[in-house]
Amino acid sequence: MTLPRAPSQADGRLADKAHHRGRPRVELARQAGVAIGCVGLFIVFSALTSTFYQPANLLDIMLQSSINAVIAVGMTLVVMTKGIDLSVGSIVGVSSMVAASVLPQGIWLGVGAGALVGLACGLLNGILIAKLRLPDFIVTLGTMSIFRGAALIYTDGKPIYGIDKVFRSIFAGQLLGIPTPVLLAAAIALLAYLLIRFASLGEQIVAVGGNEEAARLSGIDVDRVKVCVYALSGVLSSIAGFILVARIGAAEPIGGNGFELQAIGAAVIGGASLFGGEGNPLGSLVGALTLGAMRNGLTLLNVPSFWQFVATGVVVILAVLADQLTRKRR
Amino acid sequence: MRSAARAQTGGSPTAALRFSGVAKAFAGVQALTNVDFDVMGGEVHALLGENGAGKSTLMKILFGVYKPDAGEIFIDGVGTAAIADPRSALAMGIGLVSQEPSVVPQLDVAQNIFLGQRGALTLSNRRRLRDAARQILDTLAPALPETARVGDLGMADRQIVEIARTLARGGRVIAFDEPTSSLTPSERDGLFEIIRSLKRAGKAIVYISHRMSEIQTISDRVTVLRDGRVVAAGRTSDFTPGQLNNLIAGRTLAKELARQPRGKEATGGAEILRLEELSNDTIKGINLVLRRGEIFGLAGLVGSGRTELVRCVFGADPRTAGKIVIDGAPAKIDGPSEAMAAGVALIPEDRRGQSLVPLMTVEQNFGLANYHAFSRSGLVRGRARRREINRYIDELDIRPKRTDAQIRDLSGGNQQKVVIARWLHSGARVFLFDEPTRGIDVGAKAEIHDLLRRLSARGAAVLVISSELPELLALADEIGIMRDGRLTQILTNEPGLTEERLMKLASGELAA
Repeated sequence: MTLPRAPSQADGRLADKAHHRGRPRVELARQAGVAIGCVGLFIVFSALTSTFYQPANLLDIMLQSSINAVIAVGMTLVVMTKGIDLSVGSIVGVSSMVAASVLPQGIWLGVGAGALVGLACGLLNGILIAKLRLPDFIVTLGTMSIFRGAALIYTDGKPIYGIDKVFRSIFAGQLLGIPTPVLLAAAIALLAYLLIRFASLGEQIVAVGGNEEAARLSGIDVDRVKVCVYALSGVLSSIAGFILVARIGAAEPIGGNGFELQAIGAAVIGGASLFGGEGNPLGSLVGALTLGAMRNGLTLLNVPSFWQFVATGVVVILAVLADQLTRKRR
Repeated sequence: MRSAARAQTGGSPTAALRFSGVAKAFAGVQALTNVDFDVMGGEVHALLGENGAGKSTLMKILFGVYKPDAGEIFIDGVGTAAIADPRSALAMGIGLVSQEPSVVPQLDVAQNIFLGQRGALTLSNRRRLRDAARQILDTLAPALPETARVGDLGMADRQIVEIARTLARGGRVIAFDEPTSSLTPSERDGLFEIIRSLKRAGKAIVYISHRMSEIQTISDRVTVLRDGRVVAAGRTSDFTPGQLNNLIAGRTLAKELARQPRGKEATGGAEILRLEELSNDTIKGINLVLRRGEIFGLAGLVGSGRTELVRCVFGADPRTAGKIVIDGAPAKIDGPSEAMAAGVALIPEDRRGQSLVPLMTVEQNFGLANYHAFSRSGLVRGRARRREINRYIDELDIRPKRTDAQIRDLSGGNQQKVVIARWLHSGARVFLFDEPTRGIDVGAKAEIHDLLRRLSARGAAVLVISSELPELLALADEIGIMRDGRLTQILTNEPGLTEERLMKLASGELAA
């Protein structure tokens, strides 16, 4: 029988202190990875083309990324609750059709109608997911088809042309030399950031994503939080639809097709974790810019657009892989 | 993995299993430090320790789930740095029988025994496998049919299936991790018979339990772990149960487990909560009264419906019949928020899974149930919340004394205090604690006990579920026994009430 000395408490405490700084370091490494990726992209494209780094082209990238950025902010909120919204592209389509058809009656009527459609679509997603406890993936895959179908049915598949000039200048004009879509995207991302940082809804979004059961057992109305994020995602998708219509000068029922992957990619590159509970709406701006820069650079290099699909998919999967690797070990 | 196989040093016969200087840390927290442990063939070696002492970590290393940071593992004298994965552990003849056996309910006994081996699910092999299963079962449990669907079997038979699975792989080392926690005493005796026969067959047995009487009955040697270190090892007969208890818990045990029941005098307070014939899928016709200043203990086997009862009262699980009466008026509790509004708090057993949001800070976790108090026009009133949590940090001695510390970096005891602070601030008067000291070290345990007593002294009604009967005997004024979803008996915690008696009542061996 042996009785070794009792362990001192001090060892444990030291270990605790070392542990304390553990996670931020992982987070820092991830952010550094994104930053290095962006800078690398910039250097490579700048070296390979003579136009990529020109201010005009950089502004163009921002402009091209703004639609995705607006959707990605909503997607980030959804992903933070451990959800996913695959219907965003279809919401862009249906809400832009409705907005375009109402525009002749008045700009703000058109905008209001489009936003209401986006809100209704998001509410439907949220209610099906939260109240009926259906899997988010299946629900939004289903509504993706439903909303797209609705957009096509609405005008029997025909685009709407002749979009109001004032509407176009609001959603695709310039203010102080900066394209309004860029300003809009930045403002929306900032508002969403403030929501997460200072509003109780924002904190509840983090709580639901971080541990839904704990949130529920703390009396947080988990269903309400979920409905809110899908509704926000719907409204933001409709705003993205306005930008799309304003830029093209027409509303197409197939507008927004494939936007969901871009938005998920931007959210994840920007730091949203598919494990829930983590994400940053400002980061999704960076994510959207990264994807936008990549497409722009590939276009300048004359890479066929078919290959750009491949590249986007690869980047998104790599981003999710990085997310797995850095966050799995909790 | 070190490639060179080495023979064990020393003159003693080769141990079937030997850990030498094994260490393991998780994210900076040292779970095991320099652990030596061995088992001979034909021997039962008991591994003792509190929850969180490192027993499970050690067993997971044995089963290839974790890789140790340092040290060596010898299987029949052949050394290796780590066992690669559970597959190789099984192939080496190492088996683990847990409190909740990992069996596939939809398959039959024979299929489960040979699960993971080639051809286990092939139809053409069925006859052969059943014969092989029969042979193994004949030595373990002749009455268990190899064709039975495992889903139809009780916990004891499922454990037998798990043991048989190990034997089917030639099983040399079999570890039992708290195998009796969901068994009745007679099932337990049956299990002991099997363990003895395995022992006679020369198997090396590791037995983990915190039930002292079982250790005394079944084991030849004991090793006690505390805070990840071996604090004692030797022949079981060289220790008294009291010595072992003190070793497991450290010196504070005597103080912590001192019985301080207040008996009848404490149960005279005004009634706060009354349950009338409360029922759902699991619980049946529960009648119970909780009074101001009372601590009510709830005992029962795992699976007896204790957790389901408190979840139902809290509105976390649906209720199909019966009434919840608060302050004499029937309360409509259909969800946690309504329970909260009625002044009821649930502190679940699984802190990580059900109480805390690991990514959030101490302050935010404290605030989870208190958004009504700490928000104005949708914005969080951070300053007011910090002031309040700071007050609780001082009052409950939560460490570290930082509101912005990540909750996951706190010890179990301090996490639990944050959860208690959360509910204190929500104005709860009825506290339902499900295993409040699980995974909490001894010193903090005493503090949590003290806190529960203070809660009741402040006029709250406290209900405590615990599998550790000494804990209930130390804390509770009254103790209710749950069995098969029913509250079969309520006893006043008088000096004559023993752990043994509670145990027998809980298992149904002693009729209520």
